[in-house]
Amino acid sequence: MLMRGLVLAAALSAQTPEQLFQERILPVLKSDCQGCHGDGQVLSKLDLRTRDGLLRGGARGAAVVPGKPADSWLVRALRGESQLQMPPGKRLSAGTIAAVEQWISAGAPWAEASAARWTYKDEDLWAFRPVKRYPDATIDKFVSARLAAKDLSPSPRADRRTLIRRVTFDLTGLPPSPEEVEAFVSDRSADAWRKLVDRLLSSPRYGERWGRHWLDVVRYADTNGYSNDFERPNAWRYRDYVIRAFNSDKPYDQFIREQIAGDELYPENTEALIATGFLRAGPWEHTGMSVEAVTRQMFLDDVTHGTAATFLGLTLGCARCHDHKFDPIPTRDYYRMQAVFASTEFARPKAPFLATENTSGLGPGREHLKQIVDRTSAHMKGYDDIAVANAMRKHGVTRREDLPKGVAEKAIRDKEGIGSAQFEELKLYQKHMQLYRESLDRYEPKAFAVSSGPRDGETDGGGNIKYPSRAAYKPSDIHVLPGGNIQAPGEKVEPGVLSMMERFGYPAPAVPASTSGRRAALAQWIANPANPLTARVMANRIWQYHFGRGLAADANNFGKMGRKPTHPELLDFLAGLFVEKGWSVKAVHRVILMSNVYQQSSAPPTDAAAKDPDNELLSYYSPRRVEAEVLRDSILAVSGELSPSAGGPGTYPQINEDAARQPQHRMGSLAPAYHASAKRQDRNRRTVYTFQQRSLMDPLVEVFNGANMDFSCERREASTVPTQAFALLNSQFAHDMALAFALRVEREAAPAKRVDRAFQIAFGRAPTAQERTAAAAHLKKMTAHHASVKPAPRPKREPVIHTITGELTGEQHRLVQEEDPAPYEENSHPSECGAPVRALAELTLALLNSNEFVYVY
Amino acid sequence: MIFNGGMGLGTVALSAIVAADQARASGTLAPRNPHHTAKAKNCIFLLMEGGPSHIDTIDPKPKLGSLHMTKMTRERTRFEANMNTGERYFVKSPFEFHRAGKAGVEINTLFRNFSGVVDDVCFYRGLRAESVNHPTALYHLNTGNQFGGDPALGAWASYGLGTVNQNLPAFVVLPDTAYPQGGAGNWSNGFLPAHYQGTPLRPQGAPVLDMAPPAGVTPDRQKANLDFLTRLNRMHRDRHPAHAELDSRIESYELAFRMQAEMPGVLDLEKEPVKTREMYGIGGSNPDADAFGRRCLMARRLVQAGVRFVQVIAMGWDSHDYIDKAHGARIRSIDQGIAALITDLKRTGLLNETLVVFAGEFGRSPDNGIRRGGQVWGRDHNATAMALWLAGGGVRAGHVAGATDDIGLRAVENVHPIKDLHVTLLHLLGLDDNKLRYFHAGRDKQLSQTGGELIRELIA
Repeated sequence: MLMRGLVLAAALSAQTPEQLFQERILPVLKSDCQGCHGDGQVLSKLDLRTRDGLLRGGARGAAVVPGKPADSWLVRALRGESQLQMPPGKRLSAGTIAAVEQWISAGAPWAEASAARWTYKDEDLWAFRPVKRYPDATIDKFVSARLAAKDLSPSPRADRRTLIRRVTFDLTGLPPSPEEVEAFVSDRSADAWRKLVDRLLSSPRYGERWGRHWLDVVRYADTNGYSNDFERPNAWRYRDYVIRAFNSDKPYDQFIREQIAGDELYPENTEALIATGFLRAGPWEHTGMSVEAVTRQMFLDDVTHGTAATFLGLTLGCARCHDHKFDPIPTRDYYRMQAVFASTEFARPKAPFLATENTSGLGPGREHLKQIVDRTSAHMKGYDDIAVANAMRKHGVTRREDLPKGVAEKAIRDKEGIGSAQFEELKLYQKHMQLYRESLDRYEPKAFAVSSGPRDGETDGGGNIKYPSRAAYKPSDIHVLPGGNIQAPGEKVEPGVLSMMERFGYPAPAVPASTSGRRAALAQWIANPANPLTARVMANRIWQYHFGRGLAADANNFGKMGRKPTHPELLDFLAGLFVEKGWSVKAVHRVILMSNVYQQSSAPPTDAAAKDPDNELLSYYSPRRVEAEVLRDSILAVSGELSPSAGGPGTYPQINEDAARQPQHRMGSLAPAYHASAKRQDRNRRTVYTFQQRSLMDPLVEVFNGANMDFSCERREASTVPTQAFALLNSQFAHDMALAFALRVEREAAPAKRVDRAFQIAFGRAPTAQERTAAAAHLKKMTAHHASVKPAPRPKREPVIHTITGELTGEQHRLVQEEDPAPYEENSHPSECGAPVRALAELTLALLNSNEFVYVY
Repeated sequence: MIFNGGMGLGTVALSAIVAADQARASGTLAPRNPHHTAKAKNCIFLLMEGGPSHIDTIDPKPKLGSLHMTKMTRERTRFEANMNTGERYFVKSPFEFHRAGKAGVEINTLFRNFSGVVDDVCFYRGLRAESVNHPTALYHLNTGNQFGGDPALGAWASYGLGTVNQNLPAFVVLPDTAYPQGGAGNWSNGFLPAHYQGTPLRPQGAPVLDMAPPAGVTPDRQKANLDFLTRLNRMHRDRHPAHAELDSRIESYELAFRMQAEMPGVLDLEKEPVKTREMYGIGGSNPDADAFGRRCLMARRLVQAGVRFVQVIAMGWDSHDYIDKAHGARIRSIDQGIAALITDLKRTGLLNETLVVFAGEFGRSPDNGIRRGGQVWGRDHNATAMALWLAGGGVRAGHVAGATDDIGLRAVENVHPIKDLHVTLLHLLGLDDNKLRYFHAGRDKQLSQTGGELIRELIA
């Protein structure tokens, strides 16, 4: 201990006492002490905001006696001596306490820096200034100007084959069909490109593609995450709402208002109620082991961050604990914005299905799940019977009616006569029932939504949170929480918006302190042409998804730490145009897609690598790897297996069998085994319509950088790792789809034309002579191989058996998981196909793995 | 270390560090220099999921014997979970304890094998967690962030050090029969490049997902396909000569198949002498000890083969009831494996360069509520005290640091939060938490979130 003290003292002595105070003491006083002793309240008459206050001390005596740490109550309290431990519920580190002692020993100098609380420079605040208008500008002018300054020129237009592939992936997330490619290539009309863009923008596939981008940002999932990962049974309606909004080109300001305050602003509108699911999109759970105040605070932090990142492109995380170091956002502002949500409560209100929603799957889905539920209840009743039989044996009777009153019920309750292995089975079924009970609600006309104050009878906090009645409800007070510590609340704040925006001429509205109307005020403040961030942030996102990189490269961070826009005027031009065109997202698409910049070739000009290695100036179109969903959807599309079914509750894709069979822990027991949807048309839907389970992402999606469902994903990574090769070359899904692709080619082309057809489908072009030769040789070799071997028969479906550690014994028990009652509609299997098709499936598998299949130029 | 002490770094060392930073930023797995010289180069993290009771394993509390079944009054605050409210009673430990090793550390007598190696172990009783909820506490221990989504310790270590064997993942996870609460988020790469994600090796089926092709696909056939694919990709690359990513994707297929070739050999425990396998409890009469022993031996083999970070998970420590049976069975299932791991690492000379960590997500309470209509001996969750030990390179072996109060409710001596453990573990691996940063979402992020301090007493 002595040694340690010496080492620390040596380390600390490098600082002047004033530096020590500023760097180590003041932050602790602010974040851990002043909440109770200074800001808003002065407990024990102790005010730790000034040196005088420390010297004066409180009820017990002087907090600081300069030069005498041992006599200072501050040190005693931090050390937990004399029955006093501060801060409550937390113990500061030994290093911090040593620093306090060191500072007191040095006379406790108070040297609060008065100026320069923030480190931002004027140019760092570009995003908060009003958007400049450029009425006569074009995208190409802005881009050419910057290129010319670097002595670079734009690239020529890409060829038509490349262009239709690029724009079809871009707008729909799917490859163009060979027929679509040929039609565009041979369309000699002057407005061929405009017609193509219009066709794609009006395709329902467009909303599926661009809705998915939005779902990345809001971290959409169909489950809650954490230990039980319960389903959010009506969340799918929010997903479909987003897709509809993009397809119908819902004005973005309306889209914002509905998601932040749909329930307050449009109380009669079901669509707007569904939209508020946005506010609950983050992971959330409350169990008997959670602390309610903590769970609530986690939600409040989550919704504050989520709203700011999504619509304002601001990262507020830092301001939760201390005044933001980089952006002009004081902690107080963070909590004022949080107070907007203080009256936001979870609701699952009735919300009739809309004509625009796909409800066709609800009946069969409910029927299927009911079958499973009934089967599980029957199993559970079996254990009741065992307990009753046990009681009858004990009482020497043979009929339940002969048991004394209450004995049978008690036996069932206390699980009498149920051995430890059976007890684990019973717990498994109980857990499954808990999960199913939530899932059953997905077929009901309800919304995954919020309300201001509880909606009597329609609240949604799970069994563990008790809401007061609407009449007795009062929104909780929001305090600044220095250091983010809820145990030491500081100053109370009223709901409000970010104050610094006023300094740039955008006035802050009065946010009512009433239960209702807080979010409406926030929504109106965000969805406003005068808000400098809103339009810029969305215009930048649109640009980013078209080009792979935003004009401002950090789409969720327009503050100082985010990278500055490469073309600030262009960003303002787009933001201005966006608002002018009635917040039409499709209008922004059109102006981008019609530009030369978008239609450039992807071959870099010779001097680009030296002058602009990251192509920030856009002298060519940067090629990109497709996202995980696009990859899976494209595989299904070229194989002819893509299901046109859209909307409704998520379905279950065919995933890696080992992952499907992997036991999944749920609090106290295991989840049911994963079953892919039995019907091909269900499991082969577009990925956006698959069930998004936080604890089990489709490994194919995951390995290709699928969006993390826990935090906002502003931009997909596109890393290349060897496990991707396993997923595409070895997985059963890839093999099944390659075979389906081969069967399609066999149907559509005569033997001599099959190589060509396969290339047409996969790449939208005929093979080169060299490719044709190589492919034909490979096909010949593989045909010979397959003619000589008999394919293995279709493997039998093995039961899923899991082991679990018994709570009573600590021993491991085997649990047999139940099969899906629906008969599984199998994929085609090699054992049913002749050697030519099996050989063709080797070729198609290689095409699905090829670089050309996964990159867009 | 001696030569550099207090003198700052020479230019040679500095350029090596710059090179290491560049390699980190590029997201590759190439090995790189640590921030400072350290003995430990690899880490085996034994994660005991569910919250092992410190009171019943390595931190006995005889006082509970006299308090047994008397009422305990807890301060009621709004920061207590439902679980810990209501009528509560003290519970004594049903286990016996003995003094082991030169330091005479008191541990459960069921640790028959582990008791023999405690001179190589540093026990730490001063750590405090923050959450009493399994998934949040697990995320906290594994990633430094209770909310999940951040990179795991193993991902940070791989990011910091790269890995020696390019044919194997840098960070491997050996899960128990089920994934822990919170799932794969416990070994996430978070915002770090995907190379640093933990690769779970499954106890059944293909160890790595899709490492083997479907049944009936012969190696010849696969090789022919791969050759054709490579030809196709090369022709494609010739048409796009400026697009460098194409080459790395071609290489990734080659790497995948080197991994496919090498991995089964590394994982084949039959390659070990019978005596070694027996030492780990493999093939013995206790099937749980067999399964855990396999994971421990696998961990040693992976580290030996050049894997940077291995996390071994043993679940089932959540003993709210019947702690005598449940914890008894858990201890019996791990005792041989952990003892053999330390002995074997020592025998093979790897202990010096391997950091071994044993920890659960939190400790357990000295008291219990009324459950199932009556009083049963179990314990609830406790974030203010826990069980933890370290062994291996750079660790102060044969030492007991920190202490809990006389009922095991709170750590009171040499108390540190989880982030300080993270800083210490990184330090032992040659990494400085304050330097091991990654820019994401507007700021430089680090494992400790906002910085922490070393727990010096754990360091030799």
